[in-house]
Amino acid sequence: MEKRLMKGNEAIAEAAIRAGCRYFFGYPITPQNEIPEYMALHLPQYGGVFLQAESEVSAINMVYGAAGAGARVMTSSSSPGISLKMEGISYIAAAELPCVIVNMMRGGPGLGGIQPSQADYFQAVKGGGHGDYHMTVLAPASVQEAFDLTMEAFEIADYYRNPVMILGDGVIGQMMEGVVLREPVKLEELKEKEWATDGAVNREPNIINSLFLDAVKLEEHNLKLKAKYDLMREREARAELYKMDDAEYAVVAYGTSARISRSAVDEARKKGIRVGLIRPVSLFPFPEKIIRSTIAKTRTYLVVEMSLGQMIEDLKLALNGKRPVCFYGRTGGILPLVDEILESIELMRRGEGIEADCCLS
Amino acid sequence: MTDLLQYEMNRETAWCPGCGNFSIRRALVKALAELDLSPEQVTLFTGIGQAAKMPHYIRVNAFNGLHGRALPAALGMRIANPDMKVIVESGDGDTYGEGGNHLLHNIRRNPDISHLVHNNQIYGLTKGQASPTSEYVLKTAVQPGGVKSDPFNPVLFAVAMKASFVARASVTEEEHLKEMIKAAINHKGYALIDILQPCVTFNRINTYQWYSERVYKLEEDYNPADWTAALKKAAEWGERIPIGIIYKEEKATFREKIGHLKESKILAGKRVEPAEREYLLDEFR
Ligand SMILES: Cc1ncc(C[n+]2csc(CCOP(=O)(O)OP(=O)(O)O)c2C)c(N)n1
Ligand SMILES: [Mg+2]
Repeated sequence: MEKRLMKGNEAIAEAAIRAGCRYFFGYPITPQNEIPEYMALHLPQYGGVFLQAESEVSAINMVYGAAGAGARVMTSSSSPGISLKMEGISYIAAAELPCVIVNMMRGGPGLGGIQPSQADYFQAVKGGGHGDYHMTVLAPASVQEAFDLTMEAFEIADYYRNPVMILGDGVIGQMMEGVVLREPVKLEELKEKEWATDGAVNREPNIINSLFLDAVKLEEHNLKLKAKYDLMREREARAELYKMDDAEYAVVAYGTSARISRSAVDEARKKGIRVGLIRPVSLFPFPEKIIRSTIAKTRTYLVVEMSLGQMIEDLKLALNGKRPVCFYGRTGGILPLVDEILESIELMRRGEGIEADCCLS
Repeated sequence: MTDLLQYEMNRETAWCPGCGNFSIRRALVKALAELDLSPEQVTLFTGIGQAAKMPHYIRVNAFNGLHGRALPAALGMRIANPDMKVIVESGDGDTYGEGGNHLLHNIRRNPDISHLVHNNQIYGLTKGQASPTSEYVLKTAVQPGGVKSDPFNPVLFAVAMKASFVARASVTEEEHLKEMIKAAINHKGYALIDILQPCVTFNRINTYQWYSERVYKLEEDYNPADWTAALKKAAEWGERIPIGIIYKEEKATFREKIGHLKESKILAGKRVEPAEREYLLDEFR
């Protein structure tokens, strides 16, 4: 197996190419420019195309078209650019087309800054654009995982015919780690997309569409989408449990904040606090069942996010009032520190800081 | 003439030493001072980019909006406030890429806005990707084999649409640039100046020397009212690049076209006599 030292952004780009992605449409924005740079350099060697669009709106609609044509296709951006893509993503989800979208989140709202953030959680997991839909959302916490999840994202996208988002931030995108590279998929072995507009021969033409003027038909369509989301909830929900076997307390965090929380958990263990880490890997579907399976032993949960508290709402829904929840968050591009999280863990153990916000610095 | 110090153009910037933006800032401030426009009479609208940082680097009313969207925001103010001098400043990527559609529609509307485009033929802030005005030969990290689309000629585009004022300037001719800015601000209606500006860090093709060797001022007898001649002039690019007012046409502005807006005043400037509002108090009596 080939192993390479790579940046997170490069690993995502390499994984996409190995997953059979041959078309990439993007628009420059910090901190994800290594993805388009990698694609621009390498895609032509595979007969693929990198295209810098005139805007993110244009780029996502190019994705729409290429996905409709049956190709594996990807775009990437960072927060302000992702907001612009939302219109297209709603249509892509409605038209049931597979594609992969990478969001390397930066601090917002508005132009915000370029430092790492997790403030686009709501936008990612609740749909983001208009209408009753969801993207599948995967949140890597290492460069290896960024690679693995991106390769898988293309399979999930094709299987469910749904847009999949890789949700990271500047830390995940810029840091360098060793990556074990999986073998490329064989394009000729991929399942045929009989719904694609690839030129009708001896059959009726296919139509890519999200228009249903008849309310009854539209409700039927939305229920069909819901059935897919329900299936995802059953099969695709995943989380990593770390030192949770005997954990009286749990930190819940994803991506970069989970990496830092892991160190805080180790520190707390040294102090004899029985605390573990629940790290959601899929954010939609949210790993509700996995979290509920910890209730028997765990008394209190601490959510750590690089936002003012977004995933905390999904955790509370999952716990449904059965356990108290604390929160610690930093925002605007500031990373939570191990010591700060440790302090929140100690507060939680003393039974303080139970209401969301009160652990906030 | 307003005192130059009022505009505080010595503020620290994040621009590279030698950046063409410094010339544009100087020319703009001198133009405002010579037109006797004091800082409070001017609002500067920008999008995002190195060019778009201008409102942070001089002292006037400032609106730093979204990437590509300076024009719609400026139009919003133009409609709501007839008294303010509205100036838009933005980069070539911002104006001709992300915000290209807005350019087209503002030419159609002809609001009284002066638009200064810092055209360095590259995306500067995001560290050097091709912009809509980049030349074929420009190679970047995402265009390793050069640019694959024809460069956009904003001057030809605006003249073809009969925009009411279309000029080109170059930071290599700073005095001329200042005169162009003054003419644009004095013009009633939408005034576009495409300003050629080297990016000393990321664009190694279109350098100071490249521009100096090519730009020339329009002939004395050039008539900017002649549309057919202007089209020909606007199409000129390459070995020789004309600078000056390429096309000019007096047209009704957006506010003038909406009859009842002519008399409207901004809320802040409206005087209300207490007697006129007596009836409101009556309701409580
Ligand atoms: C919606 C959105 N997309 C992308 C960006 C990233 N971005 C910032 S400035 C810029 C382009 C800068 O180029 P230009 O307008 O030519 O200005 P310059 O920096 O060259 O002066 C881009 C793509 C952003 N801030 N917002
Ligand atoms: Mg530029």
